[in-house]
Amino acid sequence: MAESFDLVRMVGIGKRYGGVQACHEVDFVLGAGEVHALLGENGAGKSTLMKILSGDVTEYAGSIAINGTPVRFSGPTDAQAAGIAMIHQELDLVPGLSVADNIFLGRELRTTVRTVDRRRMEREARELLDRSGVSLDPRRPVGELRVGEQQLVTIAKAISLDARVLIMDEPTSALTSSEVERLFDVIRELRNSGVGIVYISHRMEEIAKVADRATVLRNGKIVTSFDPRKLSTAEVVEAMVGRPVQTMFTTPDSDTGDELLRVENLKLKARRPRPGRRDPDGISLTVRSGEIVGLAGLLGAGRTELLETLYGVAPGGTRTGRILLQGKPIQPRGPRQALAQGIGFVPEDRRASGLVLFHSILANTVVSSLPSYGRLGVIARRMERAASTRMADRLRLKFGRLQDEVGTLSGGNQQKVVFGRMLLTEPKLLLLDEPTRGVDVGAKAEIYRLLGELAAQGLGVLLASSELPELVGVCDRVVVLRDGRDVASFSTADSGEGELLAAAMGQGAVFDEVGGV
Amino acid sequence: MTDVQDKVVTTEKPSVVATLFRFQSVFGLIAVFVAAIIFSPRKNGEILFVSADNLANVVRAVSEIGIIAVGMTFVILIGGIDLSVGAVLGLAAVGSAVLMVENDWGFLPSVVLVLAIGLVFGALQGVATAMIGIQSFIVTLAGLQIARGLARIWSGGQGVAIAYGDGPKEAPTSFALLGERTFGGLVPIPVIIFAVVAIAAVVFLRVSAFSRHLYAVGGNEKAARLSGVPVVRVKIAVFAICGLLASLAGIVHAVQLNQGSPNDGIGYELDAIAAVVIGGTSLAGGRGSVAGTVAGALLLGVLNNILALNNIDSNIQLLIKGLVIVAAAALQRLRPTS
Amino acid sequence: MRSVRIPLAAAAPFVMAALVLAGCGTTSERASGGASPGSSKSCKGTDGKYTIGMSQANVAEPYRQRMDDDIKAAAKDVPQFDVKFADAAQDNAKQVADVENYITQQIDLLIISPNEAKPLTAVVKKAYDKGIPVIVLDRKVEGDAYTGFIGGDNVQIGREAGKYIAEKLLPQGGNVVELKGLAGATPQAERHEGFVEGIKGNPKVKVIASASGDWLREKGQAQMDALLKANPKIDVVYSHNDPMAEGAYLAAKAVGREKEMKFTGIDALPIPSGGIKAVEQGRLSATFTYPTNGKEAIAAAKKILVECGTIEKTQTLPTRLIDASNAAKIYAEENPTG
Repeated sequence: MAESFDLVRMVGIGKRYGGVQACHEVDFVLGAGEVHALLGENGAGKSTLMKILSGDVTEYAGSIAINGTPVRFSGPTDAQAAGIAMIHQELDLVPGLSVADNIFLGRELRTTVRTVDRRRMEREARELLDRSGVSLDPRRPVGELRVGEQQLVTIAKAISLDARVLIMDEPTSALTSSEVERLFDVIRELRNSGVGIVYISHRMEEIAKVADRATVLRNGKIVTSFDPRKLSTAEVVEAMVGRPVQTMFTTPDSDTGDELLRVENLKLKARRPRPGRRDPDGISLTVRSGEIVGLAGLLGAGRTELLETLYGVAPGGTRTGRILLQGKPIQPRGPRQALAQGIGFVPEDRRASGLVLFHSILANTVVSSLPSYGRLGVIARRMERAASTRMADRLRLKFGRLQDEVGTLSGGNQQKVVFGRMLLTEPKLLLLDEPTRGVDVGAKAEIYRLLGELAAQGLGVLLASSELPELVGVCDRVVVLRDGRDVASFSTADSGEGELLAAAMGQGAVFDEVGGV
Repeated sequence: MTDVQDKVVTTEKPSVVATLFRFQSVFGLIAVFVAAIIFSPRKNGEILFVSADNLANVVRAVSEIGIIAVGMTFVILIGGIDLSVGAVLGLAAVGSAVLMVENDWGFLPSVVLVLAIGLVFGALQGVATAMIGIQSFIVTLAGLQIARGLARIWSGGQGVAIAYGDGPKEAPTSFALLGERTFGGLVPIPVIIFAVVAIAAVVFLRVSAFSRHLYAVGGNEKAARLSGVPVVRVKIAVFAICGLLASLAGIVHAVQLNQGSPNDGIGYELDAIAAVVIGGTSLAGGRGSVAGTVAGALLLGVLNNILALNNIDSNIQLLIKGLVIVAAAALQRLRPTS
Repeated sequence: MRSVRIPLAAAAPFVMAALVLAGCGTTSERASGGASPGSSKSCKGTDGKYTIGMSQANVAEPYRQRMDDDIKAAAKDVPQFDVKFADAAQDNAKQVADVENYITQQIDLLIISPNEAKPLTAVVKKAYDKGIPVIVLDRKVEGDAYTGFIGGDNVQIGREAGKYIAEKLLPQGGNVVELKGLAGATPQAERHEGFVEGIKGNPKVKVIASASGDWLREKGQAQMDALLKANPKIDVVYSHNDPMAEGAYLAAKAVGREKEMKFTGIDALPIPSGGIKAVEQGRLSATFTYPTNGKEAIAAAKKILVECGTIEKTQTLPTRLIDASNAAKIYAEENPTG
């Protein structure tokens, strides 16, 4: 155990995809017991660098040494054997298997007669989950869990590998603030036991809190390396995007108009209640046209469920209370009816519920508004192209051709496609569920700018988010949900994240400061 | 997905290789066609494979499977499968024979009723899978049994022979025309029916709003639903179209063989699926084309023909066809994903 | 997205059209004319070389495999003959294509064992009209557009079996269950019809139940399982073929009742898994030969092609009773080398 060696030393790493230099002469060092943040816009080369380290990418220039020993992995299994574990942004879990089964997938615990020792697996899974700060029944199928909970399971799984190097790619994108806090405790604990952690995130405040060192990549090259506690967010962002950024949240406080949506004491009693689902249990709120209303709340507070109920895609059950759109009561029956009434919805998980990744940008943008591009069910291709182009321009979509598959776009641009699809239906009210998850800083800013524009045009927006800075920065007003009820409403002009969090966590709950922007 | 890989694709123009893969079934067909000419037995200097009669036989032999495969393509595009098509073909063949011969119905009412039966049968399967949410594999597996059973009951368990004439217990002579050849006695009518169906399907998939919905449902059903695509309606319509085409193929089958037998079309669903797969349509749904399927069906037809002309042992033929299907599927895996 | 990527989509029908057109270009009408088959045109005497096409309905049935084997064996002794085999795998449409391919290959003589009569009549006539002599085996086609038919008489076989049961096995009367072949198949109807006639002489013989085993051993076994449950007293099982009889025997043995009853079959194939061996080994009481006609078909072909003679339009081969007394002897006769 030569202390003089770095845990990981990557030298002169280069990787070229076709005409694009994904990584160029990158030197990256990770020490034992160090949390090293990796920053950069989408496409900066962070993922490529880490895929090389985790054995996903095997063709590259340069050299890697682990504890001073040169290595060249021929695959992820190789890397895992060397003690390197990666938590992917895409959650690689088997939905049909239980939490415990997923955690021990491929290395199931056995009894003395070689059968699967379910009880021990469940017990150990529970301990692991507790360590990661979640209380989840390890027997529940992963498919039933929410995205955030699934993320926690992958983290627990990675921890269970007893890795020496842990790579976390956007581990908190679906977590609530309190869960993020608990995850940080876990990270600190791992660090103290000598594990080296690479932490990829778009969230500056997290990096400031948890990282010992931060490295910024831009266009495949290292731009700067710094102590995250010493640099301001603005400076970091500038390093990432290569130009100074004005304030992130530029939504003008638009004049709000007439009442667009009124929800009165909305309750949904599901016919077949699903565990982990928190259907509305008495929610009242209003959205005026031109107003952006935020929905805050912890994981499981019922934000997604409220949006789904309003869009008519919640599971069947008895609905009570009233929903009024422009003063008229409506009964949400499904997306078609909702869209016809002028309600658009951008779902939480754009890969699973938003896009057909291997279909073209064109097809994905126009799918909700097809009847308007022709007559008698025949599509005028010129018209649909024109609409798609118009929307791409408006959203400043970065793309090659409209025929390109949506899956080839970066996360932010994918999200813009989902937005564009909804905007083509000319909605009056937009329901947004975590619209900036996994989206890089630049695209985030553009989405915020777009929201501002839309509001200025008189659209009403209901925005569910677990990023408090986003809620405070973008919204005119924030409604806080807890256990399926609305518990508080704030104007963002005179309250901050702390108050939101307090309301979300409930009276008497202890909360520390949450890193501000 | 790497951020960087994304950019690569957007900057690159589709390569020759990508085009080859995209139309692999068409190129495959050309390759098999050329191979067939090379390996064709010759007699008196004549290449038997390319003789007019033989080519007419080839396309006629694939026309029924081809018609079914077009419908199957629709179903597979939405990520489903229809195992009932062979049985529906049998039911339609029996129906045509019984209505025209035993019930002395006219040509048009018989055909309309038989097509309607196929349409409704398919639609009901669509309802079962779309509204009740049973997997299409299971629904149509049941449908296969039901259609076969109905065909047995309707025919009394026997093949119903079709004789033509104006008398009682004779089918109208106009019906026999469907089995004839035209254009100088060369092009079989079933081929024309197949061509019309295929062209109609290609055009339909190209211009209709429905086709966009269909691809979206197959590509990501949840996303399609949230985007306001009428998923249930699309599914029912697709299964109805598939049933309709299967019954059309059944009518053609009955004319071709002058008989409607409840055992007609056994195993045809598998040939149709093979044609679709060779045609490059993904069984996962959301990608593929009717053009590919047509090429796939013709490829199988040419392959069958050239193997038979060379008197390759029938058991060896099975092996070769199996290998071709695997090869086609493997090629798809190798296809550069854009 | 794949739906929109079909600029070449229309190509497929064109490719198809090209197939047909390519054919047009090389049209070469063979002199077919109305030369009467079996005439001197096809006969080139002992110096000629002849290609014979054998179109088999389904080699998955042991009986039909044996038919092919018999033809192969018999043809070995005729140096002028080269016999090709095709298997239609129980599909009428496939068999039509097989015959058409033989026509394309310009064979000198066609032997066909049709899957079903009506659907194959037209294509057999087509071959016959082109001047190809046609020998039809086992199942007839309709009309008289063939050179000769060689087959067994299923009614006669059924009658013999009925008589044997009524007179030898159950002279005092008793309960018979009948295991039928595939519903809708002609031999099934005929073997039943003859059997009913055969047992008429003894009114105390009662058919208490019947079930369809689809010619298959495992189906026969399953049907017998049920029949055994339903009927406490069974004296004889009359099965339409040997495999089903064997299946029935296994079912009875499974419940320890195989000694209570006797089993008879039909076909008596001289192969290790055939009925003759089953009789020899005591599982079946009797079986009745259903000749494969393979030897006879080659003899007829020789007469037409080599000796320039004519053959009878219909040649019916008699059945033979196989029981414990002659089973071993006949098996040895039929398999001279082993």
